[in-house]
Amino acid sequence: MNPVISNGSALLEVEDLRVAFASGGREIRAVDGVSYTVEAGSTLAIIGESGSGKTVGCRAIMGLLPEGAAISGSARLRGTELIGLSDTQLRKHRGSDMAMVFQDPARSLNPTMRAGKQITEAIRTHRKVSRGDARDQAIELLRLVRIPAPERRFHEYPHQLSGGMRQRVVIAMALACRPKLLIADEATTALDVTTQAQIMELLLELQRDLDMALIFISHDLGLAASYADEVVVMYAGKIVEQAPAKRLFGTGGTVKMRYTRALLDAIPHLERPAHTDLPVVAGRPPDPSMLPVGCSFAPRCRSAADDCTAKAPALTEHAPGHRWACWHPCENGGPV
Amino acid sequence: MSPEASVPPEKAVPPEKAVPTEKTRDEKKPLLSARDLVQEFVAREAGGARGGVVQAVSGVSFDIMPGETLGIVGETGSGKSTLARAVLQAPRPKSGSVVFRGQELTRLHGHALLAARRDMQFVWQDPFGSLDPKWRVRSIIEEPLTAHSVGTRDSRRKRAEELLDLVGLDPARYAKRHPRELSGGQAQRVAIARAVALEPSLLICDEAVSSLDVLIQAQVLNLFERLRRELSLSYLFIAHDLALVKQVSDRVAVMYLGKFCEVGPGESVYKRPLHPYTRALLDSIPSTEPGAVRATATLRGEPPSPVNPPSGCRFRTRCPRAADRCAQEVPQPRELASGHVVACHFPLTEPDSAESGSEKVKTKTS
Amino acid sequence: MATLTAGAQQPLPSLVSAGRLRSQRIARALRLWVPAGLLILMAFFCFVWPYVYSIPPGDSGSILAAGLPPFSPGHWLGTDPNGVDISSMLIYGGQVSLEISLAVTAIGMLIGGVLGIAAGYFSGWADAVLSRVFDVLIAFPALVLVLAVAEVLHPSELHLIWALSAFSIPAFARVTRGTTLTVRTLPFITAARLTGTSNWKIIFKHVLPNIIPGIVTFSLLGIGIIVILEGAVDFLGLGIQIPQPSLGEMIAKGQTVLTAQPEYILIPSIVLLIFVMALNLLGDALRERWGVR
Repeated sequence: MNPVISNGSALLEVEDLRVAFASGGREIRAVDGVSYTVEAGSTLAIIGESGSGKTVGCRAIMGLLPEGAAISGSARLRGTELIGLSDTQLRKHRGSDMAMVFQDPARSLNPTMRAGKQITEAIRTHRKVSRGDARDQAIELLRLVRIPAPERRFHEYPHQLSGGMRQRVVIAMALACRPKLLIADEATTALDVTTQAQIMELLLELQRDLDMALIFISHDLGLAASYADEVVVMYAGKIVEQAPAKRLFGTGGTVKMRYTRALLDAIPHLERPAHTDLPVVAGRPPDPSMLPVGCSFAPRCRSAADDCTAKAPALTEHAPGHRWACWHPCENGGPV
Repeated sequence: MSPEASVPPEKAVPPEKAVPTEKTRDEKKPLLSARDLVQEFVAREAGGARGGVVQAVSGVSFDIMPGETLGIVGETGSGKSTLARAVLQAPRPKSGSVVFRGQELTRLHGHALLAARRDMQFVWQDPFGSLDPKWRVRSIIEEPLTAHSVGTRDSRRKRAEELLDLVGLDPARYAKRHPRELSGGQAQRVAIARAVALEPSLLICDEAVSSLDVLIQAQVLNLFERLRRELSLSYLFIAHDLALVKQVSDRVAVMYLGKFCEVGPGESVYKRPLHPYTRALLDSIPSTEPGAVRATATLRGEPPSPVNPPSGCRFRTRCPRAADRCAQEVPQPRELASGHVVACHFPLTEPDSAESGSEKVKTKTS
Repeated sequence: MATLTAGAQQPLPSLVSAGRLRSQRIARALRLWVPAGLLILMAFFCFVWPYVYSIPPGDSGSILAAGLPPFSPGHWLGTDPNGVDISSMLIYGGQVSLEISLAVTAIGMLIGGVLGIAAGYFSGWADAVLSRVFDVLIAFPALVLVLAVAEVLHPSELHLIWALSAFSIPAFARVTRGTTLTVRTLPFITAARLTGTSNWKIIFKHVLPNIIPGIVTFSLLGIGIIVILEGAVDFLGLGIQIPQPSLGEMIAKGQTVLTAQPEYILIPSIVLLIFVMALNLLGDALRERWGVR
């Protein structure tokens, strides 16, 4: 457990967050003790593969988990504790303090309602404005998210818009009340790479203009390298490495935890010649209902030793600003 | 929109064929030869009313030599998956020719087509969708053998177990399982085992690893590589991820809205892209390489609809170099470097862009 | 960021209570076995009980025992105005209802199923023709359709079966066509064709096993509907004829003495209600297990 010292500018402080579900008579540990801090106006990337708990953790903070979820721990937004609040209380924070954007814009939008109306609805949920004012604000928002001809798009239905534009509308809805924290959950995964670049640039611009903190969740380390200030890598419900992006990916980058190294090595890089074998890690992530006693990555790690399977390493700050949980980290960020 | 060239397939000499690297293999005939493939289908509005005609593939030609991997890269709406299905004749292309091992597939039917297609197999994107959930792994892998009456029941069973071994799954543990008891990576391996059961010469992979997690993806890619070496397979590898395609391919084709923009050896297309779209794709890729330039969005606007593609060059509505000529004339493929063909009126080797083009490339690789 | 403990972590204690997990498992099992048990019990009483234990006849009775209330000695549910034992009427009427509904369902599944699969798999003109025919048949309210057929054929059990089939065949055809269409577009069917498997084999080995869960859950619902339809036809006097007892007819007769002896209507109605509800609940539980949408 790592209590985090909060300094004045910390916007979101998550401490020992745990989420578990009961399913089919077994306990599924989706998030198993996660702690991190997000500074106001900064960008945090939460990276992990499926089942790592990256999405569940953020949904727990937003209060978007289904009934049967058991949540413990703390998540303080500007000092206000979010875990344990009722839905009614959370609704006051959602949209005005924090907002979330999801992966599939087609599913976040109501196909039978015009785009503009969905934005005005979002606005009028939190603020008492007239319909006319809401409409003006909505068009301003559409302009803010760089949708061309916003007055025309206001009246269009979602199916008349392309994937990238739909995602912009969803972002506009999320920003309706100028939240201080925006969580983007795989928001660009379903988009083409050229559209993804556009949307990511948009998010960063919006961040600067609105002084907003951004958490983006992804499986793509490249996104973290390109766009994040701080990177958190999750595996089997825990944080396994956390550092500023420059420290992990910059020249002389130092990746310490074996899993992060494995991820980096497994991504096809444009620089790599064709027909070479990718360094491969055997096996697959542990079953969240049967987590091993020691390090969760040990069964697959080539450098695993006895101490790895006996006791799980704690996430510790071994270097300034750089935390990792590994008994035998990589040397000098080199390959495994 | 009619196919670009009205030249009968047999007489056409597409630029890709007149290429130095292939001259050295001129005595070898291509395993697969596609010419002027066109595929269209009717877009249905919600409610079933007839919308426009989607011009998914509009005149695509390429060759695959034996033992070669051709990668096709494209975004949504590029028509790459439709192209793969057209090669397979499932459904048949509206026009064009596909010559596979000397046989014209578009003219074959029924048993003849089945026999010809025996050497061409397909791996889908969704590993679970391509496996019958009610069947056991062993039966799934045996199915092609049974369908073509290869060997006896016992020999087929043995072969299925060998195939499981080949793809890295222990037969004792996996032969009797159902797909729902497998992970995504394992299911995809079963699909691959089934695909190579009849020892095909060509494997078409349509986004075969796109739905897998990064580490599993690497495992499956290595499997493809190993099978390529051990079984002398040729591949037609389709994906939207340029780095992925480059990793597995000898040659790469970049596809946009139903046409090829650029085809060439992987290194050449990546290091010296000739088409502005390829350039834009490369710029958008966020890279983890130390010192890489941050990904930038260099394309303007939205992808146009394949129902109403732009006149002339289809990329002109988003191209930073577009001029009048681009709207009036469809660019024809021309070979500008060894084995490297591009369809563009103002490709990136032209004098006015030579500086910026190569500079950008330099920054990326430093 | 804070620097903290170099100590190792033990696995964190369970967050979800063991009690909750246990109750989840129990609830799931109950949802399946309670309705299944009820149905088995009903089938037992209809088909086994009369042969191991002598019960009063269901089609005749002594005037001396007319109009007895429930819980009377020897007639635990009472007797009707003619002295016929009510529980026996339920049992024998239930026999007939079950036989008819099972027969109709089987006919629907076989004929409707075959037509539906053909229409869904082969498409083309066969599908176009069959779909139009079925659409027309289904457009009629079920009862009207059944009555029309029953009018033409003279009332008898066999003819009742044909009349009800006029409803069940198109209904099954529709459902099988729908599920076949869905399955047919799945990649594994294309994969099977690419491996060279013949169409017939694909239908029997690939399509059928995958549509059977949907068809089974539909037929459970269907049995309930058929039983009610049959009851309605009997109620109107066009189905099973007296003296053979039937639930519909019991309800019809019970109408006349509704205020004085409501149990004549209540008892068969409640039995029907429980029967249909058990079928639906069982269908739901099976759908949950088999993942049918």
